[in-house]
Amino acid sequence: MMRRFLVPCLLAAAAALLVATPALAQGPVKIGVLTPLSPPGDAAAGQFIVRGAKMAADEINGPGGVLGGRKIELVIEDDSGTPEKGVAGLRKLASQDKVSAVIGQFHSSVMEAVQDLAEQLKIPVFSTQASAKGITEKHLTYTFRTHVIDPVRVQAWNRFIQQQGFKRVALVAENTDYGIGLSDETKKQFASSGIKAELKSIIFDRAVVDLTPQLLEIKSWKPDLVINIGVGTPAYLIIKQASDVGLFPATPMLVSYDMPARPEFWKNLGDKGAFTTFIAYYHPTMKLTPRGEAFRTRYRAEFKEEPVYGALNGYAQIMLIADAINLAKSDKPDDIVKALLANTFTGWNGTITFPRGEGPYWQQWTPPMLFMQYTKAEMPFAEAKIVFPPDLKTGDLMLHKH
Amino acid sequence: MDLHLFSQYLLSGIVIGIIYSLMALGITFIYGIMKMINWSMGEFYMIGSYVQYALLASVLGWDRWYLALPLSMASVFVLGVVVQRFLLRPMYVGGIERRDEYATIITIALMVLFRNLAIVLGGPNQYSPKDYAKPTTLLTLPISGNRVVALVGALVLLALFYVLTRRTWLGRAFRGAAQNRVGIQTAGVDVLRLDMLAFGVGVALAAAAGALLAPDFLVYPENGAISTFKGFEIIVIGGLGSIMGSVVGGLLLGVIEALGSVFLSPAYKDLYGFVLLIALLAVRPTGLFGERERTV
Repeated sequence: MMRRFLVPCLLAAAAALLVATPALAQGPVKIGVLTPLSPPGDAAAGQFIVRGAKMAADEINGPGGVLGGRKIELVIEDDSGTPEKGVAGLRKLASQDKVSAVIGQFHSSVMEAVQDLAEQLKIPVFSTQASAKGITEKHLTYTFRTHVIDPVRVQAWNRFIQQQGFKRVALVAENTDYGIGLSDETKKQFASSGIKAELKSIIFDRAVVDLTPQLLEIKSWKPDLVINIGVGTPAYLIIKQASDVGLFPATPMLVSYDMPARPEFWKNLGDKGAFTTFIAYYHPTMKLTPRGEAFRTRYRAEFKEEPVYGALNGYAQIMLIADAINLAKSDKPDDIVKALLANTFTGWNGTITFPRGEGPYWQQWTPPMLFMQYTKAEMPFAEAKIVFPPDLKTGDLMLHKH
Repeated sequence: MDLHLFSQYLLSGIVIGIIYSLMALGITFIYGIMKMINWSMGEFYMIGSYVQYALLASVLGWDRWYLALPLSMASVFVLGVVVQRFLLRPMYVGGIERRDEYATIITIALMVLFRNLAIVLGGPNQYSPKDYAKPTTLLTLPISGNRVVALVGALVLLALFYVLTRRTWLGRAFRGAAQNRVGIQTAGVDVLRLDMLAFGVGVALAAAAGALLAPDFLVYPENGAISTFKGFEIIVIGGLGSIMGSVVGGLLLGVIEALGSVFLSPAYKDLYGFVLLIALLAVRPTGLFGERERTV
């Protein structure tokens, strides 16, 4: 008698399982954040990127997530600013965590190693703040960037040099892909664009802590401008030691990225940071997209400080990946790549697309650059003057002769 | 050649060389007594710099760095004594073969532990105490006040160390243990207690370097790497176990690096010290002031 019920019961159980399994498979969509969170990488930078990414994940998951109800789950890995750890991190994200995409790359040397593996494993990887042109010059299918590239950075500072009439420019660059790349590109563009200025370039070992002899050598050369191409600790050491030997602020100094925008800049340098000029991509007075404005408001409320570019970019990249996932109706990496190439996305400061241009302009979106200056010690970032480009400036470059 | 500029390079090399000597002194002293290489020396330098920063930031205020310095040295001395007593001494009492090598491995593990603890507890960011003194000029060299303080501090500590080893009973015991560990025991000295004190003194010297250099070279988890790196070059150049060797080796290294980085290339600054080291070892394997070892 029992046997008559057995088969229908078994069939019902099987049917229930078949229905349940797809629902069980609707787990979260995982996105990797591979970024420097410990030395020798610029860990302060990585922390801001993670902050922005987390805020994006919260914003997406609040109303329900992507693909009709799946939450975004971030998997955070530390690359310590070294190619070996970057590659190991990507391998883990791809094979163990099975992420749909990876963002967060900050150091160019790490990105260059990571992108080759990403191409093999077919995972889209985003450069969040790595600017070497080689990254997009390789024309890899799975590499994307929403950050400035070094040839454009050099074009900007060359125009700045011409506008200010500087005739002797000294470069102090670290011996990484970033530093050497910028130094070489500056030499190249000086020659090709006929700038009437002399250039002196010094490459130093990133591990060295005492740059006094190099700074003395530059001081004796009497430059009009010193460009500080260090990242993290070396950038601080150059400012401190240039101040100690009397090179700065008598000679203006341009820091190649937005480190001076960070909250700890004044704590580390005190008065020595006054008159620093630097390149930033965000300023509190900038007009942002509605998405960007909303992010800025939430960031200020939660952290009681101005958002930093790394956080804005990390946020924007997670948002656009989520948008791409929704457009593709899929979390598979190849579908995401197709959606990224075919559509327009909203960033924090403009509309983003990924055209496949010539040279380094491949799957590359470049935000505008601002040259800012602190004209006195302990100046809040919000009060820093924009000294270049001419159409956005709010003040003139202040020279400080002793 | 502009003599004025050359003198600036030379002076900058001499100043940094004396500071490097302080880093090397601790390593060579510990080696002399315990015959083991302390690979975590740089991490004690790092801890010294963090303690200095913490004392100035929280309790003493930015101006009283001269009070924070001995406190920082004392706390690292205590840490060193504890580490030696519980982690290293067991190698020396068990009658283990190759005890120096096991002890060395423990210090490598400590290096990794301390560095990562610093990242977890202090965060990966750089810190800097306020300047100890205003920028000034040393002969022809414009120099940061901090570096002058570090130079004077290093010279004072070197002098104090000389007095300790030459004029006190404890110093004589240290020298005896360095010459002949078995012999000193027959003279009635507790060599295990001496080990503890020697380790504490050695790491306190590294902490002093860290505390003195905090405003110039910044405070962050990896800042000790430079002192380990330079320290070892110097003790090999100067001779393992030789105090005079640390001073002369440090000076030589500082000057060669300064001049090499200006007249050859700054990108290979770290290479010049190693070239000197290899050339010296080829001619004089014991280093400048080292002695051939006599083991009983």
